[in-house]
Amino acid sequence: MRKDKGIPLLFLIIVLVLIVGIGSGIYLQRKSEQTYKIIFVSKSVNASTDFWYALMEGTNAAAKDYNAEVTTVGPDSESDYETQNEQIEAAIAKHPDAILLCPADYEKTAKAAEKIKKAGIKLVLIDSLVKDAKAMPMIATDNYAAGEKLGRFMKMWITNDTQIAIVGHVEGASTAIDRIAGIKAALGSDSDKIVRIVYSDSDYDKAYEATKTLLTEYPQLSIIAGTNENSAVGAARAVKEMGLAGKVHLLGFDSSKEEVQLLEEGVFDAIVVQKAFNMGYLGIEATIESVQGKKVAAQTDSGSKLVTKYDMYTEENQKLLFPFW
Amino acid sequence: MYRGFIKNRDADKKESNKAFVEAKDEKCKKANGKTAIKAVMNLQNKFCNNRFEKKPQNLLFRFKTLKMTMVFFFSVLIIAAVFIFLLVSIRYTEDRILKNSKTYTLQMVEQVNTDIDSYFSYMENISSMMVQNADVSRYLFSENSSAAVREETREKVASQFKTIMETRPDITNIAILADNGRYVIDAGDKIKNTYADLNNTDWYIKAKQANGSTVLSTSHVQNIVQDDYPWVVTLSRALYNPTTGKIEGVFFVDLNYSSISNLCKSLHLGTKGYVFVIDENGGIVYHPRQTLIYSGLAKENITAIQASKTGNFVTHEGKNSKLYTIYTSQKTGWSVIGVAYVNELLQGREETQAAYIVIACVLLLIAVAIASILAAEITKPIKILTRTMREVEMGDFDQEVPVDPVPNEIGVLGKAFNTMTKRIKELMEQIILEQKQKRKSELIALQSQINPHFLYNTLDSIIWMAEGGKNKEVILMTSYLAKLLRQSISNDDEIVTIEQELSYTRSYLAIQKMRYQDKLEYEIDVDEASGQALIVKLVLQPLVENAIYHGIKYREHGGMIRVYTRMEETRICLFVEDNGQGMDEDQVQELLSERKKVNPNEDSVKNKQVDRHGLGIANVNNRLKLFYGTAYGLQISSQKGLGTTVCVTIPYEKGGV
Repeated sequence: MRKDKGIPLLFLIIVLVLIVGIGSGIYLQRKSEQTYKIIFVSKSVNASTDFWYALMEGTNAAAKDYNAEVTTVGPDSESDYETQNEQIEAAIAKHPDAILLCPADYEKTAKAAEKIKKAGIKLVLIDSLVKDAKAMPMIATDNYAAGEKLGRFMKMWITNDTQIAIVGHVEGASTAIDRIAGIKAALGSDSDKIVRIVYSDSDYDKAYEATKTLLTEYPQLSIIAGTNENSAVGAARAVKEMGLAGKVHLLGFDSSKEEVQLLEEGVFDAIVVQKAFNMGYLGIEATIESVQGKKVAAQTDSGSKLVTKYDMYTEENQKLLFPFW
Repeated sequence: MYRGFIKNRDADKKESNKAFVEAKDEKCKKANGKTAIKAVMNLQNKFCNNRFEKKPQNLLFRFKTLKMTMVFFFSVLIIAAVFIFLLVSIRYTEDRILKNSKTYTLQMVEQVNTDIDSYFSYMENISSMMVQNADVSRYLFSENSSAAVREETREKVASQFKTIMETRPDITNIAILADNGRYVIDAGDKIKNTYADLNNTDWYIKAKQANGSTVLSTSHVQNIVQDDYPWVVTLSRALYNPTTGKIEGVFFVDLNYSSISNLCKSLHLGTKGYVFVIDENGGIVYHPRQTLIYSGLAKENITAIQASKTGNFVTHEGKNSKLYTIYTSQKTGWSVIGVAYVNELLQGREETQAAYIVIACVLLLIAVAIASILAAEITKPIKILTRTMREVEMGDFDQEVPVDPVPNEIGVLGKAFNTMTKRIKELMEQIILEQKQKRKSELIALQSQINPHFLYNTLDSIIWMAEGGKNKEVILMTSYLAKLLRQSISNDDEIVTIEQELSYTRSYLAIQKMRYQDKLEYEIDVDEASGQALIVKLVLQPLVENAIYHGIKYREHGGMIRVYTRMEETRICLFVEDNGQGMDEDQVQELLSERKKVNPNEDSVKNKQVDRHGLGIANVNNRLKLFYGTAYGLQISSQKGLGTTVCVTIPYEKGGV
């Protein structure tokens, strides 16, 4: 009587093993096929600015690597926070898995960012901060550290009667705030030699005009620092035009063809280059990780490097200054 | 067997428990306090261990039936075999595929490498053409010609460059530079970047140092052209001033990646696989993910690649395991590396595995089914045998195991069993029959002890004698009768000595003698040795009775009865001889005939009386044969008018010792 139970039991076990094996196989296959929908709301989609171009190249590269569907939106102008806020609203309405946000304004974008969180959509910040950005992971250049690099380099020209001016990009933007703070910190007691801080609203012409004004107002000005590409290049144009290249030490942030040429020419003494491509790539990577429920570090530094005229063609720096694409 | 085993085990357990208790007591007596407790625990462990050691013996008995045991072990065997086969075949298939892939990709990568080499050979040819071009040196190094002539030669060079540029989209720049500041870039329309520091530029320095041979740079940013900073590979070569014979300029071609990339992309290594190129220093020349590599976001294990100049290696990164195939060019010193994902190479491996597993499972099902059928088939005759045995055990001896005409071991067993059953059955029937006959003969013996008529007659004689006042005779006769009765009733033994039998017969004869007076004479002549031999009781008396009633009684002058023995080697013959009227052959046969059976329902006294004597003889004969076998019994020889001799033959058995 026992044998009659035994044989079907054996069959049952074999059949069970079969079902479990095939079932789990199908399940695993399905899991690996999943793609994520991500909307990247940038500060600017102006591809003529090398920084934004590199950033978008980075996000696209990561999207390809992780098989994610990334849609990029954003205003043309960096300071156009109103358009950006509208675009954030539209992005929320599309219910993506996550939004990667590069906030245009520290305060004025905060509300929109909060809305994303409230909608239950994963949010990762890139490049810039917003107010009350707690529990929002951020991928950015450590702007304070970048500022410090510039400040330390600046120090070698500082004498007692040195006058320093800073051409900031957007007043109120966290990047500008941090970079200036970094410069000041590196200068330490010499930070009182900063005579003026002007803002260009990330516009070449405004920066150019402002620098011209500065140089007229302060003829003794010996160091000028621009806190982003537009501000620095604008300032450089003014310095070059006024024939002060080599006399006024010029330092800048970011890179562009013009900026690199100016560095090669010797108009710039040094520039601090952000790794925009890395930032974009890491931004998407972190976004996908947060969607997958993995723990994402609150703050990730995508890195920056100070490059001078003399080391701009080293193997490492040419990769940084002249993105490969 | 199984039950027996359990019983034994239980017994063992009891035994061990008993031993345990005894040992415990003993130890307790010896030790006290803690040591005693320890000792008890030790003992407990010891006994527990014993019990565990016995457990493995259970394995073979885990299944109640032989069939289940066979199915189980068959299945285990089959599963193990199939599983091992599965592992080995999957493993082998993978190895085979990987091996083939290695050879295949190496060939492909070598092909890409050859293509790149020939590409550079082509570029070298262009460079040779330019270096030897008369216009080039005339423009760069002639000091005396006029500006107009120089411009003319420049135009010539530029147009040649233009032609080359137009036919070769992979050439970013083609240029000649002289130390004296003269240069032609591309179609002559490009301006030299004044800030470019040539003496710090690798391709420029190396070309000058290479004594006129071509130099190939790694990937770098070309800054020689104003406003242009492309990533290129530069092929450069020194230019000699024909007048001075010294190196006074450099020719170079900047190559963009379109050709290299196309060559690399022409090799398909699955959907994820790719091809890249490194220079001799391990710097990346071309990589499909160059941006990521340059940004430090992706990496290639350059050290491992450089370690194996040409060949394959596999990285073990789980799902992302890759097969690197490297081929290093002798010409350029560059290495072309093909990267294939092991997963993709083994594409369809999962399907193959699934197929293998499904097939294995189906095979298993079939095998197990066959195993159970086989087991059933093998154990079927055993089962039948067991069932039959059980029924035989219950007492049904009519069961028979069906046996094949050509029996196997179990068939032989069944056959033997059948024979045994048959024999037992026969023996049992025989026993039953014998028992029945014995009981019957005993009953008859009991009946034949004393003929009631004889008793009436004797008692009548005693009455007559008493009336006649013959006290003496009365006493004698009564005492004989008493003796006869005592011997007849009191002795329970079936077998008595011949002496005892004779004594009984003597008492009988004595009574008969008193009744028949002179008409009956008798003589008993038995030696002492024969007297000690054993005989079934109540054999002689019926014979004597028969001799009186059928022989002597009818003779007017009476007759003589003689009883004597004759010893033979293994047997004794007792003779009862009379000289009465005798019988013919038919009467003798009738006397011994068994057909005359006692019918207990026959209540006719007369019938009974008539039959009695004859029956007595037949009965004696039967009993003798029953007891001693058919070789023994009665023999009657008789002649009408002369008398009868009855001979009793029995085996000689000495008794009373």
